[in-house]
Amino acid sequence: MSPEIVAQETAESIGRAVQSRERSAVDVARTFLDRAERTASRLGTYLHRDPAATLAMAADVDARLGAGETLGPLAGVPVALKDNLCAHGVPTTCGSRILEGYRPPYDASVVIRLRDAGAVFTGKTNCDEFAMGSSTENSAYHPTRNPWDLERVPGGSSGGSAATVAALEAPLALGSDTGGSVRQPAAFCGVYGLKPTYGAVSRYGLVAFASSLDQIGPLARTARDTALLYNAICGRDERDMTSRAEAKPIPVEDLERGVRGMKLGIPRDLTAEGLDPEIRASLDGVAKALAEEGAEILDVTLPHARYSIATYYLIAPAEASSNLARYDGVRYGFRAKSEDLRSMYEATRGQGFGREVRRRILLGTYALSAGYYDAYYLRAMKVRTLIRKDFSDALERADAILLPTTPTPPFKLGEKVDDPLAMYLNDVFSIPASLAGAPALSFPTGMTRSGLPIGMQLVGRPFAEGTLLRIARTWERRNPDGLRVPPLAEGRA
Amino acid sequence: MPIDAKVVHQVAALSRLEVDPAEEGRFVQELQAILAYVEQLQALDVSGIEPTSQVGAGEKTPLREDVVIPSDVRDEALAQAPDRDGDYFRVPRVV
Repeated sequence: MSPEIVAQETAESIGRAVQSRERSAVDVARTFLDRAERTASRLGTYLHRDPAATLAMAADVDARLGAGETLGPLAGVPVALKDNLCAHGVPTTCGSRILEGYRPPYDASVVIRLRDAGAVFTGKTNCDEFAMGSSTENSAYHPTRNPWDLERVPGGSSGGSAATVAALEAPLALGSDTGGSVRQPAAFCGVYGLKPTYGAVSRYGLVAFASSLDQIGPLARTARDTALLYNAICGRDERDMTSRAEAKPIPVEDLERGVRGMKLGIPRDLTAEGLDPEIRASLDGVAKALAEEGAEILDVTLPHARYSIATYYLIAPAEASSNLARYDGVRYGFRAKSEDLRSMYEATRGQGFGREVRRRILLGTYALSAGYYDAYYLRAMKVRTLIRKDFSDALERADAILLPTTPTPPFKLGEKVDDPLAMYLNDVFSIPASLAGAPALSFPTGMTRSGLPIGMQLVGRPFAEGTLLRIARTWERRNPDGLRVPPLAEGRA
Repeated sequence: MPIDAKVVHQVAALSRLEVDPAEEGRFVQELQAILAYVEQLQALDVSGIEPTSQVGAGEKTPLREDVVIPSDVRDEALAQAPDRDGDYFRVPRVV
């Protein structure tokens, strides 16, 4: 598959061709469904696919255009949905047995917006159970494999969404990011992944994990495509009271304006230790390239960021233990057989939730329980304030912060799954921005010598998603790595 | 403070979560490791620091008009029930 052909299959070029009726949405859908047919079962990218429903959606887009309706840039563009996003009548499991067979009676707000925009859904992608994990190995159904190396994880929890975009099964996907679940798999699979500012995208219809942190975000193969998907979902929604009108669509042509005069801060304190040498080299290379483009590189400090993992692993499980209380076997999903109500609750939850989810419920309940609330949960919320202040101070001096997305390249399946703390430590660079509520973008910046993707991260001021994409686009113009395709997707492996 | 099998049982009961006795030891061990790790937060001076429950929580929450919006999903919602009796969810005997 030549780079030219791949470039023609960006969401942007597909949408343009469908809007101008050069290409039918059905033809586009068939192309991507054929690819998924060849690779999806080997990669384990999906939990639910329904090619007939995908083609029917595409036919509807063609009919709308035929009737003279004007659709936006996502007309006929295939989009994959993480399986924690509700779509009316479509199985939604969150990678959990407890939601096996559940079909939501409503659409998530992002799903409504994408339907209106003429997007076509390819299916529901695999994820760690209830988005808890960094490898997609915590899915109750099957793991997902990294398209660049099938022995390695795609990252998580939005591993299926990242892998399906990397493998060209879909040009775009939505994931959700609570502590890095869009950015880390984007880095591991060599694609773009944006965690918008807290409040930029409505979470109505996103199955809740940790509500003070959860954000829905786009995954794509170019900076411009990332902006197009963000534009379709951002902004105020009356059904999510945390969503904000300040989140405005990004004028895509602004991404071409370069970085001259911009200030980029590198948190040397956070990146001083534990960084894989090839990732460090990529960080230095990106900083040098952006300096050549006219950006000013400066050192910033985030003195409390090293407490982020400890803070996060109190706050997120505490919120999860509360959010997941709703799974009681009464109204939907799995119910264990039992003689009385209380043991029915306990058996349903004990059998329906996997190990990681149960551990986090136990941890969160402990951190919130009488006698420990002040020492754990309240203290963590105060440290969160210190971390937020670190970011607002650093972002007074710098327009954006540049740091790696992950400390290492993708690890092997099975390598960390039995050691929760080792798995958590992998999130060291993504969690700080989550706690700060700041927008953060992972973009592909190269490959290791052994052929594994490397991603860098940009963190910005509230609602400055456009600035982050503009910086990434400047790098992309010099190094079109976003268009690299794994051998598997080319049919060579 | 230290997590042992008894604490795991108490917390599991609060969480309405059945814990298989065979898994108990591993949960104890993993939770001990995580709590030992988060202990580092005790070293920070947080006196006088306001907690962040949610970013943007201090800002004015925009409210919608207080009008009824119909939500006609009763039948579809009931269709998801693991066990039902007409328009009711059925559960094991309570009293």
